[in-house]
Amino acid sequence: HPHSRPRHPRARTMVPLLLLLLATAHGLVQLSDKPKLAGSNLGGLKTTSTFVLEQPRCVFKDYPITTEIWLVVAIPEAVPDFNNSVEPGTPERAFQEFPTRAHAYMTLNTTLLNYPCPKSPGEITVLRVGSETNCTKDMSRPTCNGPLPGPGPYQVKFLALNDSEPVAETSWSDPITLRTAQQYSSIPTTGNGHSASMIALTSILSILFAILLAGLVAMLVFWGSDACGSSGTFTKTEAVSVRRYNTHHVYEQTAARL
Amino acid sequence: MAKSDDGLRILQGLLVFGNVVIGMCGIALTAECIFFVSDPHGFYPLLEATENDDIYAAAWIGIFVGFALLALSILGIVGVIKSNRTLLLVYIILMLITYAFEMASCITAAAQRDFLTPNLFLKQMLEMYEKSDPDNSNDKGMTEGVTKTWNKLMLQNHCCGVEGPSDWQKYTSAFRITHSDADFPWPCNCCVMDAQGSPVNLDGCKLGVPGYYNSNGCYDAISGPMNTHAWGVAWFGFAILCWTFCVLLGTMFYWTRVEY
Repeated sequence: HPHSRPRHPRARTMVPLLLLLLATAHGLVQLSDKPKLAGSNLGGLKTTSTFVLEQPRCVFKDYPITTEIWLVVAIPEAVPDFNNSVEPGTPERAFQEFPTRAHAYMTLNTTLLNYPCPKSPGEITVLRVGSETNCTKDMSRPTCNGPLPGPGPYQVKFLALNDSEPVAETSWSDPITLRTAQQYSSIPTTGNGHSASMIALTSILSILFAILLAGLVAMLVFWGSDACGSSGTFTKTEAVSVRRYNTHHVYEQTAARL
Repeated sequence: MAKSDDGLRILQGLLVFGNVVIGMCGIALTAECIFFVSDPHGFYPLLEATENDDIYAAAWIGIFVGFALLALSILGIVGVIKSNRTLLLVYIILMLITYAFEMASCITAAAQRDFLTPNLFLKQMLEMYEKSDPDNSNDKGMTEGVTKTWNKLMLQNHCCGVEGPSDWQKYTSAFRITHSDADFPWPCNCCVMDAQGSPVNLDGCKLGVPGYYNSNGCYDAISGPMNTHAWGVAWFGFAILCWTFCVLLGTMFYWTRVEY
């Protein structure tokens, strides 16, 4: 009977305290927040080797300002049995070994001082994952925020550490797949045929040219068949051959008689 | 006889008027084609790199056709006034030759305009912009021309790529070989520049924050002048040819009525 129910009044407040102690003893508070990509009007939201996340503002409330927030980037295979106790900077969590020997890496560490809550309106609060290019092969910088090695998919979460002990974490994000670039030689450049205006222009001009050539031929034929006599009614002012003069003379005489 | 005399006098007058118009159009055509050949927008390197700059050949032909039209129109006026059959025959034959050349110029300009699609410029830009290992000296000249032209184009028109900065993300390119994706999602000239020629906010440009990078494509800036060029040569030439057709028919008819 003495172990069944605590009768002492102070014992009632002891139970929640005990539970809290148990929780902190296990070291981890699971927050329901999920990291998400930044607002979609950014042109470089996802490139072939980087992506942009929203900063975890107002996510780690009530934690001391000296808590270090780390970003964990992992391949989806490493998500189910991810060990939070592995310290950042070890080879198991080194960026340079990702994704072959290290299935996840930790980077972008900063204290809660840099994630003030609430955020000022109009401020763009983002984290660009993959922006550091000078330490991609530098083994002395395992927490390098280097460009991602492939299109993914990747899953991320934020982990809060206090004196290297994990105290809180967000949920894992939805899988993020980066862009893949197509080969430029695959761009089709064969034309879509000719436009209607070009066809109209060509056909009309060809018809007109054909008519002109036909006219020229007709003209030359006319000239050939009519070389001697003249049916032209347009006279020039200068005098021409004697025979013609006689003909006109005859006409004039006939006209004069009438 | 008097009536047909009057009729032919009217025809004579019309032919002189027609030739005057042809002469003036010839001058206008020459001026227009000289303007296009001088390449005020600087797109010639892009066309040269497509290895098909027929649109410029059409403009060159237009210059000479314009001069020919002017000279022939004067010959035509003299021939009509003097009613000289030989002169008129020479005029008609030379005009037909000029007609054929101008026809070639118009059709070439119109056909080449259809060839210059956005995809053509996109592929060329991806292949040649900032290419670092050219195959030979000819290739080197073309890639340098393309790079300089695109840089100038993106700076002056505040645009990026052919359809937008995403061109550089959607496709691989010669630019991507020498410039890593994390440092240069798109070329530096796609960033909004300050008066000194350096980006206003490089991080904003890399992130793609609206206002710090040029989010629209350059195709409109290219196609506008190119359309003007092609249609200017093709359709103005077509109009001249239609008018010339009427004048030539009239001249041929007049020739048959002239006393030899």
